Amino acid sequence: MVDALYSKPRIAAPPAPARNRLWRLLGWALALAFLVYLPNVLAHRAAFGVRLTNTELLNLGLTQINLMLIAMLGALSLNYLTGCAGLISIGHAAFYATGAMTAAIVGTQWGWPFPLALAAAAVTGALAGVVAGLPSLRVRGLYFVLSTLAVHHVIVFVFLEYQFRFFDVVGVPFEAPLLGSYELNTPTRWYFFLLPLVAVVYWALRNSLNTREGRAMRAMRDHELAAAAAGVNVRILRLKAFAFSSAIASMAGALLAYFMSNVTSEAFGLDFAIQFIAMIIIGGLGSLGGSLVGAAIWLLLPSILSGLAPQGGDASGWMGALLVDHKPQLVQAIFGLLIILLLIFAPGGVAGLGQKLKALFSSRGAR
Amino acid sequence: MEAALAIDGLSASYARKGLALDDVSLVVPKGGIVALLGANGAGKTTLIRAATGLIGLHGGRIARGAVRFAGEPVLHLPAHKRVRLGMAQVPEGRLVFKNLTVEDNLLVGAAILPSARRREGLETVYDLFPRLKERRQQKAGWLSGGEQQMLALGRALIGRPKILLVDELSLGLAPIIVRQIYEQLRKVGETLGASMLVVEQNARLALEFASYAYVLESGRVTVSGPAAEVAASEAMRASYLGAESA
Amino acid sequence: MLAQVLFSGLALGSIYGLVALGFTVVFKATEVFNFAQGMLAVCGAYFAVTAISVFHWPFGVAIVFMAVAAAVLGVLIHILLIQPLAGRSMLAVIMVTIALSIVLRAVIEILYGPQGRSLVTPLPSGVITLGGLRISELHLTAALVSWACMALFAAFFRFTSVGLLMRATADGHEAAVASGVNVNAMNRLAWAIGSLLAAIGGLFLGQLQIVSTDLESIGLLALPAVVIGGLQSIPGAIVGGLLVGLIEQLSASYISPKSTDIVIYALLLLILLVRPWGLFGQRELGRV
Repeated sequence: MVDALYSKPRIAAPPAPARNRLWRLLGWALALAFLVYLPNVLAHRAAFGVRLTNTELLNLGLTQINLMLIAMLGALSLNYLTGCAGLISIGHAAFYATGAMTAAIVGTQWGWPFPLALAAAAVTGALAGVVAGLPSLRVRGLYFVLSTLAVHHVIVFVFLEYQFRFFDVVGVPFEAPLLGSYELNTPTRWYFFLLPLVAVVYWALRNSLNTREGRAMRAMRDHELAAAAAGVNVRILRLKAFAFSSAIASMAGALLAYFMSNVTSEAFGLDFAIQFIAMIIIGGLGSLGGSLVGAAIWLLLPSILSGLAPQGGDASGWMGALLVDHKPQLVQAIFGLLIILLLIFAPGGVAGLGQKLKALFSSRGAR
Repeated sequence: MEAALAIDGLSASYARKGLALDDVSLVVPKGGIVALLGANGAGKTTLIRAATGLIGLHGGRIARGAVRFAGEPVLHLPAHKRVRLGMAQVPEGRLVFKNLTVEDNLLVGAAILPSARRREGLETVYDLFPRLKERRQQKAGWLSGGEQQMLALGRALIGRPKILLVDELSLGLAPIIVRQIYEQLRKVGETLGASMLVVEQNARLALEFASYAYVLESGRVTVSGPAAEVAASEAMRASYLGAESA
Repeated sequence: MLAQVLFSGLALGSIYGLVALGFTVVFKATEVFNFAQGMLAVCGAYFAVTAISVFHWPFGVAIVFMAVAAAVLGVLIHILLIQPLAGRSMLAVIMVTIALSIVLRAVIEILYGPQGRSLVTPLPSGVITLGGLRISELHLTAALVSWACMALFAAFFRFTSVGLLMRATADGHEAAVASGVNVNAMNRLAWAIGSLLAAIGGLFLGQLQIVSTDLESIGLLALPAVVIGGLQSIPGAIVGGLLVGLIEQLSASYISPKSTDIVIYALLLLILLVRPWGLFGQRELGRV
């Protein structure tokens, strides 16, 4: 029984007429132009020579955008695992830890170059993913979800021990990464590295879903018995999904470590894992595009609230206190409420709402 | 005289299966026994669920129509309130509480009685079904099919209902046991003055037992009338009583 | 020494058992794996703090307030969050309880600040010496009260009419509806009880340490406890709680204080791989 929480399977749309294609091309070009121009705007706090206030820029800095891009990798990989393959994992942050630790060992300790460290992180991530997926061969359902929780604790503990054994309580340090001779030491440089990376990962996952294996995965998600009866090797497929998803998350963890120049085990706690689940639920389970939106909302919310703080602070006592003194808690509260409301009233998340809107427009518009 | 149960123009559908009942009307006269017949999937169970309030549990919706119990409309009432009004049921599959003892199962049914009357209710059921008394401390999951059926009946009857709706009493039971149970049921009906609506696949047995019958086909009432007439009708003969077996 | 560790392990384990019992009652009744159970324990502690430190009520009144507030919270959670999600997927239900714990934590931190509060109660805090063993009176009281609550609940569940109806509802939802049981009321009662038991556990945990939202991770130890003991099993929850308490104290003393979490979760993983239905559970793999 397909739950409404999953977005509907995509049916290939008939090829759009030429005029529509032109509009879409234009749209993509504009989006690309916007994305390329964005760091300039954020760095100079001005667009086309017009100065923009902090509020207009939604209080965003390039650093936050970069963090969002790294988070997008996590959201995409988790949605691939949970939304598309149907494997619920509540310990996704553990793979970030795996990547960070790998990068620490091969990058900081052994001095391997950055690209190799990323590759190594992907490999160890895949391995960790397979390990995390192994319990699925033994148990399913709720017990499996709990096993992901237990695996999360184990992996983060390993990182904790590693951190204290080789480094100290301050954390594990990372040097600015080098791509060849190009050093990633400014937010702008990071941005132009991460943005195409996210695009490539999105694309890779999207394509993977459209292969025979990808479709088999979704069949497995919707009705495992039927898929198995149809000849799908469910066990191998599950492990593959885990490996792929965790490799990406692990790479993202390595990126996070390099980006922040320092990580501690606390960064990978259960709270972080839950943020990812929140992102994919808000974005819409099963919708890769939705994961991007979910990560964006996760980024934007605190910034928007910061923006409201000055006005709120002037307006009335308690609201100001709320926004200024308790901003992180307020963000969490709103997040939690948003998840609850979406779960009850709009289970398809933003993607689901988007599809409903599209349906509304296409049924109205003349074709 | 007011009907015990009056179903009027009822239409219901399931989210996934579509229309299950189409403008069905049915009356159970006070003190009467009515048989509801039809093939698998004709809508018999749906009708029972609609009357007792369990249809929502199975993803169904009532689109149109009314159900009146002793003259009072009941569709707006949740299931447990209908039971309190005196509408008891033995659902398809019996649905006994497998991990509770026989006696506990009965006590659940007796919960609608004031606590002083519960012991009395238990004794009445044990008189009716002595097998249950023998097994009173056993877990219901361990009983045989026939015993579970008796238990489900006992649980429904203990509350002294005004109407009893029974869904597929004979399913999975040996004919001789079924006959015994129907005999008990007839006695109970007379003593309690309870009305009954009995869903049965075994049409012949039901028609022996009931005074009035309805036949459902694809969600619609196709035949209705006094049991003897229905039994004799051409339609029945053709579809159900075709292969006569002793 | 060993006896000391064992005693404190059993005492703490009794508290965990209480919280785990609350969890199991909810799970048996509504099949909801309540990830917010740890947070409900924290809420209980904060209800107590509010009554005692903010309203300055006498201890007895404060306890009644805490109990009522916890029960009401449980009922509200069922009405607002659980009932609307009836019949939805497991991920949806798990997420709603996780989201609930996020919201509760944020609200508490907004109202009380993220730092801890101390809970001042007339509960005994001294130490008695019994044949070479130094026994904390607080541990002893916590254990005794927890056991009393568990016994009370067991008696209620086993011997009262309402308890019977709750057992029936847990045994078969549809059968209960067909038999005239007000299943919604039973579910709400289950959530009220689950929240209440968690609150009492939280009260003691808050006394043993400081009352803060960090208590949640301790309350969350109820989750491995119920799995180890066996989901859906009431004796399982209690035994699981005791085991977790013992393991926690043993590993804290003999391995390292930081190792407790990992030992318990590693054990959880082991149980899931070897005997997922736990010590007392029934073989129903991959249920829910």
